Amino acid sequence: MLLEALLIALWAGIAGVDLFNGLTHIHRPLVTGLVVGLILGDLQTGLIAGATLEMVWMGMVPLAGAQPPNVVIGGVIGVAFAILTQQDPNISVGIAVPFAVAVQGAITLLFTVFSPLMHKADVFAENADVKGIERINYMGMTFLFFFYAIIAFLPIYFGADSAKTIVESLPEWVIGGLSVAGGMMPAIGFAMLLKIMLKKEYIAFFLIGFVLVIYLKLPILAVAILGAAIAMYDFYMQKDKGTGNGGGNSRVEEEFADGI
Amino acid sequence: MESNVVGYEDKSTEKVLTKKDLNKMAMRSLLLQASFNYERMQAGGWLYSLLPGLQKIHKNKNDLSKSMKQHLEFFNTHPFLVTFIMGIMMAMEQNKEDQDTIRGIKIAMMGPLGGIGDALFWLTLLPITAGIGASMAMQGSFAGPLVFLIGFNIVHFGLRFLLMNYGYNTGVSAITTLKENTKYVSRAASILGLAVVGGLIASYVNLNIKFVGNVGGKELPIQTDILDKIMPGLLPLTYTLFMYYMLKRGWSPVKLIGITVVIGILGRFTGIL
Repeated sequence: MLLEALLIALWAGIAGVDLFNGLTHIHRPLVTGLVVGLILGDLQTGLIAGATLEMVWMGMVPLAGAQPPNVVIGGVIGVAFAILTQQDPNISVGIAVPFAVAVQGAITLLFTVFSPLMHKADVFAENADVKGIERINYMGMTFLFFFYAIIAFLPIYFGADSAKTIVESLPEWVIGGLSVAGGMMPAIGFAMLLKIMLKKEYIAFFLIGFVLVIYLKLPILAVAILGAAIAMYDFYMQKDKGTGNGGGNSRVEEEFADGI
Repeated sequence: MESNVVGYEDKSTEKVLTKKDLNKMAMRSLLLQASFNYERMQAGGWLYSLLPGLQKIHKNKNDLSKSMKQHLEFFNTHPFLVTFIMGIMMAMEQNKEDQDTIRGIKIAMMGPLGGIGDALFWLTLLPITAGIGASMAMQGSFAGPLVFLIGFNIVHFGLRFLLMNYGYNTGVSAITTLKENTKYVSRAASILGLAVVGGLIASYVNLNIKFVGNVGGKELPIQTDILDKIMPGLLPLTYTLFMYYMLKRGWSPVKLIGITVVIGILGRFTGIL
């Protein structure tokens, strides 16, 4: 079992990297079914379990960047369980989903832990250290690889059943709380943009964008087109005014506070 | 920091990028999310993808540093369509546009591309190709996964390289007009960018009160009966502005992320969120 578990861990690591980098979609359960089926010597069950899990995850895609239950671990654990226990592939879904939800929570933590790395990157950027920036990115991927490999290895080596019990014994508020926090997280990114971009004269346009979506339910593309319309109108108005003053090309000397 | 001067020192606008450079960057864009994190999201991988171009364009070390810092700011878009923005950025960098303009265009584009990418890849291409593949695999055919991978990636890689070159050419041809009117373009880009950020906050920040009050034996859902009647999206907006306020007061994003995790878990624990 050790060799098989190691091979599956290797696959989980590769698939985990592909989920965020590469995006060739070898990480989907459909492909995992084929690969894990080959590793465990039961191609038929692997393909069918993979296809079953694929259907479950069809709608669970990172829409608007929100992380769905982790498709890599869900696929690997689900397929392996279906083959090892020779249960109906549908039961493997019940095993796969709790794992996938727990790993989704762990990913939230991982992306939080990665944040301080950016301050290191700031120093590299300041010194125009290209190699440094490259190293940080390679390091991030290496980390992702081992993260997935270890998470896949443990339950398969020690038994999918006992691991499931542990996952299910985690209180709901831990996993649920992490998903609430995940929903709030984008606020921080947008606040950072506002800190860079927002000036008094632009507040009006920020409010317009917000109202267009919250009350009129317009998609972002529509907001962008309307924003572009306002921007174009403003551009030509300002330009006409500007040529009158003869100050066409002088740069605005505004206080530019970049506090990052 | 010394970023008060927004223009580059070296003003030469020679066309140094070749098609080969563009394709190399498109290839690198596969690692867009290599150092993904909640503080800057894709910024680390975004800078990584642009590096070959930036190094060729900015021979002046101060300029390179300035440009690298700008591209390490918060960035997040759809990982499949990112090369379109990259192409435009390369045209602008090569033409030594000032940084406010580059940033404005970058931010204005990342949101809409996110929406288009979701619709195109997650809601159309993936269900079609994976659906066909899975139905074959369900019959026990090992060709199922292969059909899926080939179908998906022809579109994926085709668009990735096409958009890089298309974005660059679009950027180059639009840029002469941009250059003559930098000040107004910068202003227009900020207007567009902020309108989109306003819309993004409304769509993508999720914060709802789950708690249901009880008034004289009648249920009173706080979220739908009170908060949504005042204004939908009140909490997401308030929370974002609160984060903005704390950032302005000098709080670090990492601290704010930590606080957000604590609020989420406490909120769920108490049953409020």
